[in-house]
Amino acid sequence: MSEIKDITEKASAEYFADFSDAVVFFHKELCPHCKNMEKVLSKFGAKAPQVELYSVDSEAASGLMAELGFERVPTLVFVRDGKVVKVQSGLMNPRELKALHQSI
Amino acid sequence: MNNHYDLIILGGGVAGMTAAIYAARANLSVLILDENACGGLVNWTQVVENMPSYKSIGGMELVERIQEQVESLGVDVEEAACIDAMDLTGEIKTVEADDEVYTAKAVIVATGRKPIPLDAAGECEQVHFCAICDGAAYIGKRVLVVGGGNSGFDEAVALLDQGIAELMLVEKMDRFFAAQSAQDQLAARSNATMRHSTEVVSVNYGDTLRSVTLRNLETGGEESREFDGIFVFMGQKPGTDDFKEHLAMDEHGYIVTDENMATNLPGVFAAGDVRPKKYRQITTAMADGTIAALEAERFIRGNSK
Repeated sequence: MSEIKDITEKASAEYFADFSDAVVFFHKELCPHCKNMEKVLSKFGAKAPQVELYSVDSEAASGLMAELGFERVPTLVFVRDGKVVKVQSGLMNPRELKALHQSI
Repeated sequence: MNNHYDLIILGGGVAGMTAAIYAARANLSVLILDENACGGLVNWTQVVENMPSYKSIGGMELVERIQEQVESLGVDVEEAACIDAMDLTGEIKTVEADDEVYTAKAVIVATGRKPIPLDAAGECEQVHFCAICDGAAYIGKRVLVVGGGNSGFDEAVALLDQGIAELMLVEKMDRFFAAQSAQDQLAARSNATMRHSTEVVSVNYGDTLRSVTLRNLETGGEESREFDGIFVFMGQKPGTDDFKEHLAMDEHGYIVTDENMATNLPGVFAAGDVRPKKYRQITTAMADGTIAALEAERFIRGNSK
């Protein structure tokens, strides 16, 4: 099972360049939708161990969020071969996340 | 994997987790299935100040403490579960979730309530249900809050605290239902206006929200107002859609039980906000969960009379 690693301190588009197949989860403390999404991401990770999972506290990453073009949380940023290929805000269930990941 | 349990609890809110504690302590094997994270609506509560033993505690922190107790008793907890089908009618109950088939001798339905959507919202992406999740996108902008209960007023103040430039709160009924203190708090803000007897007729959007048409229900007059975002807090409805075929419900979709939380199906109990009740509090949900678990144990041990 993929662990969700906190990269709040290091997160940047340049830092993502080393990721081959990753999902970066932007969240906020006390955000109920984010709590739900974290469980969804964990469940997705259990069945997709090849995918790297990361988390970023949105309150410390407003610049990066503006750079990537979103303001809401929870938001998932999908990275393939070092490049951001998809930004998805809002809730989904593990099956929807798996389908979205496969569609990219 | 052994997927057979004495008791399956559908919903890991306070009622469900309390039931799990009682059932596990009665040496029943217990599974909680929840489509989201455990905690239900308590996760949305910033501060809880009427929970005996805590003068003040955050909703999420309270949930974490209860869940820690649940898991320490050996209860299996499956969060973010995708439930596909269930059959609660037989002696052995079955629930299909996450490509697994779970069975149990008894089931407690504790699926709680869900926010009521704004029908006029359509697919507009600027319509939200959580100030803390989505409020930051509207700093310096204009926001409409729909719903004049405690949640509407509390979240409106939270939005203003985040830096919303201008806020209007509307309520369809002819008065606000929030506590007077909450109403006073919002009324004290110079950049907030409050209107009751006002309904949202249409949400007008293309790529983004353009305007909202409001109707004054006393005069019948309509006006179009420009907003950048809408936050909806119109109360909740029971999360019982999956049970309508088999469980007796009242006209509002709440599961009817007797005073021992028993539904019309043997071995199926309901607890918490899914039941018709006057008071929906954390403590009343705990009471329901307690009774449902004790009755489920009696049923399983063949002592239900």
